[in-house]
Amino acid sequence: MSSFGSVLPRTARGILSSCRVPLRGPSIAPVLSNFQQVRGLKSKPKGKGKEQPSKSRRGPQTFRQKDLKAMPQFTLCDAMRYIRAIEVGREPTVRKYELHIRLKTKRDGPVIRNMIRFPHAVQTESRICVICPPDSKHAKEALAAGAVLVGEQEVFDLVKAGKIEFDRCLAHPDSLPALNKAALGRVLGPRGLMPSAKTGTVVENVAERVEMLRGGTVYRERDAVIRLPIGQLGFSPEELRDNMRVTIDQIKKDASGLTDRVNKEIYEVVLSSTNGPGFSLNGEFRTDDSPETSALKGV
Amino acid sequence: MVNLMKRLRKLQTLLDTRLGTGAAVLPSIASASKEFPAVTRLHLTYAQRLEGGHQGARHFWRKCLPRLKYHNPGVPMTVQQTTDQQGPAALSIYFAEKASEAAKVVANQKKVQDSHAPAADTNEEAIVLNIKDFTYQQIWDRVQAITNAQQVSGTAEDKEQLKRWKDIQDKSGADRQRVNALRQAKKDQERMLAVARGEVDKTKQV
Repeated sequence: MSSFGSVLPRTARGILSSCRVPLRGPSIAPVLSNFQQVRGLKSKPKGKGKEQPSKSRRGPQTFRQKDLKAMPQFTLCDAMRYIRAIEVGREPTVRKYELHIRLKTKRDGPVIRNMIRFPHAVQTESRICVICPPDSKHAKEALAAGAVLVGEQEVFDLVKAGKIEFDRCLAHPDSLPALNKAALGRVLGPRGLMPSAKTGTVVENVAERVEMLRGGTVYRERDAVIRLPIGQLGFSPEELRDNMRVTIDQIKKDASGLTDRVNKEIYEVVLSSTNGPGFSLNGEFRTDDSPETSALKGV
Repeated sequence: MVNLMKRLRKLQTLLDTRLGTGAAVLPSIASASKEFPAVTRLHLTYAQRLEGGHQGARHFWRKCLPRLKYHNPGVPMTVQQTTDQQGPAALSIYFAEKASEAAKVVANQKKVQDSHAPAADTNEEAIVLNIKDFTYQQIWDRVQAITNAQQVSGTAEDKEQLKRWKDIQDKSGADRQRVNALRQAKKDQERMLAVARGEVDKTKQV
């Protein structure tokens, strides 16, 4: 435009520019300089913006807790009635009730991590192998606690022969050198069965560990929620209630046992299932409208 | 944990579990009459894939059985999915003491054997319905006729909520069209500019 303007006689240019004024508003500056000014303006706040959000980027210190007023809450029996209807026709021993426990907690700091043994076992019992000197006191205790296979050399021979008929493997520190010598890492390692101190499968008190593992479930807190299977779909409301009581008591104990400065509280308890929606529980067992508890078990 | 609004939205499926085709109360021991005895168990067998008339049976499981189970929590209901496409699609209904006359008439129309169904107890009588090539609605109509199940229509509040969800669904259809038009217009505009700049081959379609 400006180059076009330079071709025109001076008077004509004056007329042109006077025409342009009302279109452009109050600025009478030439087009080119105007363009440069805009660029300068644009780049300036960019530099400022980088310094600004340092405070807000940190975010809240605690996990956000939504107000549960909008959330409909159910008694245990009502929630079970819905879940059983939604999971109808599925295998009742395979499908599991799940418990999601939402905590009121800070974003950083220690998390709850533990193992629990339910009064009514959720999984079918796992077969446990214990590697310890065969004639020791530990071997007898482990057998009494329910281990399937106990010994040293005989276990190694069986494993080398390819007969691995157990789901968990523990070892006593005394037999660790023998275990390392037998070089079973190649066989057991890929199956996740190789005992090691890191995973807590090399322990002094073998019997207690066997006891825990047989009906035990591991749980941990992730993003302020603890999720764990709580029962089979065929369980009765009473069985489920017993399991839930034990779980919640233990989690409360875990929370109080962390350290003095960390404060964790249970905020919401949600009952769900393998493929079902989550039902926020209100802490009651049943109302008068709920079906009989005898109707809420089995297939 | 999942966003609260998402969880609330998901819980709307509960209304679907309570009401609709199959939402009915089967006669129990307390409410049974001589003509229509109590129903003690249900068993459904069908094949994995749809070919050979197994579609209705599967839909009956997905749509009607949850509602039946909700309104009859004490009645055991089992489902067996087989891999035998030529095998039966059958619904076994177990009556206390004696099967209803209506049930016997329907079952005798075409007799089928269901080897997967559990055997009837001494105080039960089971009838096996052939449900091959039926739609789930037809299956449900038969089940309702032979058991005299009482339809649950839902409270006024439920109906209001159903209507609200229907309205939202209807609106979402119109909204989807509107937004699609907007997105298409934007795409067309961008393409026009790209063609004008000579970046894209004109003959190519979007």
